[in-house]
Amino acid sequence: MTAQDTLDIQNLRLSFRNWSGSVEVLHGIDLRIARGERVALVGESGSGKSVTARIVLGTMQETPGARVSGRILFGGRDLDAMSRTERRAVRGTAMSMIFQDPTTALNPVYRIGTLVHEVLKRREPAITAEEARRRGGDILREVSIDDPERVLDSFAFQLSGGMNQRVMIAMSLINEPQLLLADEPGTALDVTVQAQTLKLMRDLVESHGTSVLFISHNLGVVREFADRIYVIYRGRIVERGPTAAIFEDPRHPYTRALLAAIPRLTGGGIPEIAERSDSFLAPMVAHEEVMG
Amino acid sequence: MTSEPILSVIDVTKRFTVGQRVVTAVDGVSFDVAEGECLAVVGESGSGKSTIANMILGLYPPSEGSLIFRGRDLPERRTLELRRQIQLVQQNPLSSLNPRRSIAASLRLALDVHGYGAPAERPGIIEDLLAEVGLDPHLARRSPAGLSGGQRQRVAIARALACRSDLIVLDEPTSALDVIVQARVLRLLEELRRAHGLTYIFITHDLSVVRNVADRVAVFQRGKLIEFAATARIFEDPGTEYTRSLISAIPVVSEEEAALRDSLARAGVP
Ligand SMILES: Nc1ncnc2c1ncn2[C@@H]1O[C@H](COP(=O)(O)OP(=O)(O)OP(=O)(O)O)[C@@H](O)[C@H]1O
Ligand SMILES: Nc1ncnc2c1ncn2[C@@H]1O[C@H](COP(=O)(O)OP(=O)(O)OP(=O)(O)O)[C@@H](O)[C@H]1O
Ligand SMILES: [Mg+2]
Ligand SMILES: [Mg+2]
Repeated sequence: MTAQDTLDIQNLRLSFRNWSGSVEVLHGIDLRIARGERVALVGESGSGKSVTARIVLGTMQETPGARVSGRILFGGRDLDAMSRTERRAVRGTAMSMIFQDPTTALNPVYRIGTLVHEVLKRREPAITAEEARRRGGDILREVSIDDPERVLDSFAFQLSGGMNQRVMIAMSLINEPQLLLADEPGTALDVTVQAQTLKLMRDLVESHGTSVLFISHNLGVVREFADRIYVIYRGRIVERGPTAAIFEDPRHPYTRALLAAIPRLTGGGIPEIAERSDSFLAPMVAHEEVMG
Repeated sequence: MTSEPILSVIDVTKRFTVGQRVVTAVDGVSFDVAEGECLAVVGESGSGKSTIANMILGLYPPSEGSLIFRGRDLPERRTLELRRQIQLVQQNPLSSLNPRRSIAASLRLALDVHGYGAPAERPGIIEDLLAEVGLDPHLARRSPAGLSGGQRQRVAIARALACRSDLIVLDEPTSALDVIVQARVLRLLEELRRAHGLTYIFITHDLSVVRNVADRVAVFQRGKLIEFAATARIFEDPGTEYTRSLISAIPVVSEEEAALRDSLARAGVP
């Protein structure tokens, strides 16, 4: 099984050192994504979703005070065994990330057109500015940006939240990565544009066997997009299984509480929330995997 | 709700210049916000929602038109009192929090500037605010970079609630929160609105949230206000093709909702 997995995370731990000692925020995460599989990581705010993605990308390890342990295999290769240069070369090409906070992830001193050119150069160092602009325009159109010329000439602060998010999505897909880390990719998109960008990701998965780690609080989108789901609570996976199993037969108390808190289109007001319960710390539930 | 609107947006247009181009972000928009209501603002990405929020806050003036707050023109330079009365939770919380200041210091500054509470009480007020939005008080010592996306968003909400303002503009305030925390925050906002008669302008793409919290809904497309009506009306009898297309694309988690969505999206189609 492991051989064809694009990503295999084993016993991942992360702690931060501060003046009063050390706090562990990931307590041993196991997660794997097969080639061409769409896996969602959902759960509590502050539970460790973004840091997990940033460890896979390799940037968390460079944060002062952060200590990471465990094993991460990418296409069967141990990421720790790669040199720093090798890891940097993978970033933005074989592996790319849509950051939760696009306005800060996009370098504010360059125009979008320049940023797109830089990303393309990572895979094709010789690409010309005109060619990069043409390719950038094409992919921006695919994420429903109807005036790509203006966007390419703009700085991030001149674009709306959702336009920046789409620029990030476009830049992460443009080199056709093997692994896409999508951290809250649709929070600033209206539902019709969101549906269009999801379709684009799905197409890439199908045409290139791209694997996706999809982090989202929008469980409706997760239900539509993901093949499998991992539910995380306070730095631990509490439940995992195929999407249908998680929605139809949630077994862990935290997963049940989460599903019960979703605001419904059928109305009835915002659900009343039970206080945090000790049962949320119950052991992990793993659903049977459907193979094939 | 009283009859006098708390805010009137009258024929507002906002243009930006980008290089040689002129971008009309907001194009001749007029609407009233009633005292005490929760008005949802939805619509296309890039349709001018945040631009309107920023103008209400006075971050920049309209190119044309006027903003009337409680019967008076909102001046370009805001008095301290106006800055207390109108608050904004920005779409991107990281850009609105000073990266070099601890969370506690940012909240403290908001209270100090507006002279809210006796100085000795302020640390207690901050602790209560953080607890209300479900944040551990020990996070307050960290800088924004040491927080998760949703933790930052809750700090921004806590700061906007700190001064008990009258009008709060919430730009995607819960998009980085899990649904449990989201429910808690939305219920808190609702309680405060009832208890203190607050008014909210709630910008969001989450139409399931809109259905459950908003009194009225404004729909934007390409800088224009294309529809404005009571929440039930927007969902049950959408007046534009665009609104209908939004409804038909709402992601849901149950078959029951999917059936409702599909029947709503068909409603009124001749
Ligand atoms: N630099 C840091 N120093 C100390 N703690 C940190 C740092 N960065 C993150 N954390 C903590 O690590 C935990 C996990 O953060 P992470 O950003 O992964 O959460 P998340 O699951 O993505 O949440 P959200 O849904 O709110 O984005 C949080 O409790 C956060 O406060
Ligand atoms: N400072 C600026 N300079 C130039 N153009 C701008 C500026 N601010 C906004 N715009 C443009 O104005 C339009 C409206 O942007 P705005 O941020 O108001 O959209 P929005 O409705 O909030 O979208 P989203 O849902 O994506 O957040 C966009 O085309 C944007 O590029
Ligand atoms: Mg996060
Ligand atoms: Mg916006």
